[in-house]
Amino acid sequence: MVKLIFENAQGSRQIVDARVGDNIMFTAVSNGIAEVVGECGGAAMCATCHVYLSPELAEIADPKQEIETEMLDCAAAEVTDFSRLGCQVQITAEMEGMVVHLPESQV
Amino acid sequence: MLDLPINEAVTLADLTRDPYPIYKRMRAETPVVRMAQTNRILVTRAEHTKWIKETPEIFSSDDPTTPMKPAFQAQTLMRKDGAEHRAERMAMQPAFSPKVIRTDWADLYTRLAEDYVSRLPRGETVDLFRDLCGPIAARILAHMLGLDEASDEDMQRWSQTLIDGAGNFGYDPKLFELSDAANAEMNALFDSLISRHRAEPNNSAFSTMLNARNPIPMSQVYANLKIAIGGGINEPRDALATIVYGLLTNPDQFEEVKRQALWEDAFEEGVRWVAPIQVSGRRTTQEVQIGDVFVGPGEAVMTIQASANRDETIYGEDGELFNIFRDKHPHQAFGSGPHHCAGAQVARRTLGQIMLPLLFDRFPNMTLDDPAKVIWSGFGFRGPLNLPVTLN
Ligand code: FES
Repeated sequence: MVKLIFENAQGSRQIVDARVGDNIMFTAVSNGIAEVVGECGGAAMCATCHVYLSPELAEIADPKQEIETEMLDCAAAEVTDFSRLGCQVQITAEMEGMVVHLPESQV
Repeated sequence: MLDLPINEAVTLADLTRDPYPIYKRMRAETPVVRMAQTNRILVTRAEHTKWIKETPEIFSSDDPTTPMKPAFQAQTLMRKDGAEHRAERMAMQPAFSPKVIRTDWADLYTRLAEDYVSRLPRGETVDLFRDLCGPIAARILAHMLGLDEASDEDMQRWSQTLIDGAGNFGYDPKLFELSDAANAEMNALFDSLISRHRAEPNNSAFSTMLNARNPIPMSQVYANLKIAIGGGINEPRDALATIVYGLLTNPDQFEEVKRQALWEDAFEEGVRWVAPIQVSGRRTTQEVQIGDVFVGPGEAVMTIQASANRDETIYGEDGELFNIFRDKHPHQAFGSGPHHCAGAQVARRTLGQIMLPLLFDRFPNMTLDDPAKVIWSGFGFRGPLNLPVTLN
């Protein structure tokens, strides 16, 4: 287990226990983080799991695949260099205490 | 482990008329069951339907014998898996993205909605299903696809013909003659529009697919447009009619929705309550355990999202009711997994943010004088067939 911090667009934070090997979308949804929807269940087909990684997190996360870049174009909120599909980012032990920023809206 | 139970009694006619009490019973007693009449396995619990859709390696969409192929004169992306499906899907997905709707379409859709709503006669009783829900769904889709030249009537007729052909499991040649004729009309229209979309590209699906960096083959461009026509009119049409029905038959909720402008909640609850696409088909690639039973390879499995959306384990005992104030839980009206509905975001925006507020701004005191007159129908696709409302 590692602690992951979800921070919403208004700046309020929620700390959750995340299992190493799970993805960010699954972790958020199963911890009731309402700002992550994950409607396609992790198939990289809906972009309702869009999150912004903090710079330190972005550094150690697996890089984006082509399918993710493509689908991110269909996200509702603004897409930045730190944007990822939460369902495509695997949690590792090194992520302890790091921050995931949530967009204003997923739809 | 239990043997797969068989239901000899239930017929497609029963499920077309009033499926919900049957599904409720299946969820409780036989959540995975072979329906003898169709020889298909019905899966009715939310947990299972979601898992099946998210596990395409075991539950494939590839179905070599589907009547969809002759109906669409092509193997469409609906019946493909993996990279092949993704390539075709992503070729048109940008046209349906929230960004494109915001930048390119929101103003146009608002104008179209205003135009269609303003044609409705105040003070009179009209069939809203026929006079608004169908035509506006057709018009918006025509623009989104880049087929502005097609009339509302043509779009609706093509759509219905494709659906009838795709559901022609009895291989009745007459239905395929009709779908062949519709295909010829659509192909002719598409042919005539290619040069325009090349010369003046916009963010419609046709332009997007034609002008992509690595375009998919033209045959698949055409197949995709047809899938969008077959699958893009009924759903918003039926969703709109269902939501209006839900609101007008629940006056307390209707008042609150108007007061607080909860149109997006009304949208989500409407499609949860009666999912416009009720059922999806998959084929098992191997033996697999679903719940307590084993299902063999090569079996046709039908996930019943209509039932999943009322599952007691998620919605408690009142899932059968339209209640926009229920605790928010994800529903499966748009499916899950790789075939998650490509039009989900478009539908949420056009209905929840544009159509519903606009309709009830103009007719805030609309009434449905005799709800018993509304006829509901459908197994695969479901919604009201008529909606006689009085406009005030
Ligand atoms: S959950 Fe749908 S794209 Fe991530």
